[in-house]
Amino acid sequence: MRKEKLISLVLGAFLLVSSQIASAAGDNWRNLTPTEKDRVLENYQRWQRLPQQDKEHLRDEWNRWQRLPKDERERIKQRYDQQQRRDRHRD
Amino acid sequence: MKTPMPLQSACKEFEEDLVLYYYGETSEEERRRVGQHLSGCLRCQGFLGDLQRLLPQMARTEELPQSFWDNYYRETVAKLAQQDERKHWWRALIPSIKIWMVPAFGTVAMAVLVIGLLFGKGNLSSFTVRPTEKIPHEILADENQLQFFESMDLLESLGKLEAQDEQKPEAVNTQSSRVKLQSGIA
Repeated sequence: MRKEKLISLVLGAFLLVSSQIASAAGDNWRNLTPTEKDRVLENYQRWQRLPQQDKEHLRDEWNRWQRLPKDERERIKQRYDQQQRRDRHRD
Repeated sequence: MKTPMPLQSACKEFEEDLVLYYYGETSEEERRRVGQHLSGCLRCQGFLGDLQRLLPQMARTEELPQSFWDNYYRETVAKLAQQDERKHWWRALIPSIKIWMVPAFGTVAMAVLVIGLLFGKGNLSSFTVRPTEKIPHEILADENQLQFFESMDLLESLGKLEAQDEQKPEAVNTQSSRVKLQSGIA
């Protein structure tokens, strides 16, 4: 009886954790707009075609980006968004 | 069918006494007093006559035999069991299920759902909205991956953006090599 209770407890805990993971992963994707989803998929396809060297470089850049102070990241992101808007107007 | 005759009315002060008189539950003195009254009162005689006629009909019913109660008990238990069975009809479908199997089945179902979400369509809304879209599991493996692919455009221009940043003029030189590479990627 004690063993059965233990099994139930372990399975219940796994159930809870797995449902949380599924929910988080699903939420992140679900929260994106259709345009953002398209961009992610395009980037992923482009990523697959990149040479190994460029992939490594992008991974390094990602690690560096994450280490940047928050205010600096915000500033860079703003600058990037401005450029994107400017490029779209030009097109 | 005989219609029941209503009780004749007795003298108000002797009404209760007459009932007790009929049952023989009066004291000797009381009995004598009621007897004396009865000998001279036709209404009370009529009332007592009615009591003698009607009260035996209201006698207690005969005691039921034990076999009746045994059957009654058996039938009641059987009916309750039937009712209970109707209430939990689904249990008949899984007669030998054990209590620990319930969370086990739940876990398996959730595991299938998680695998489906992670390695399949990503989530239910994408399944309904974009039925043909395949979301690679690398993207949905964790939040970090999703953010990486979201920010890939920015990462490709990161060095350039940093170089343009007036607050970090020194970045121009250190990132120049990266800018070259990013122009090649883009």
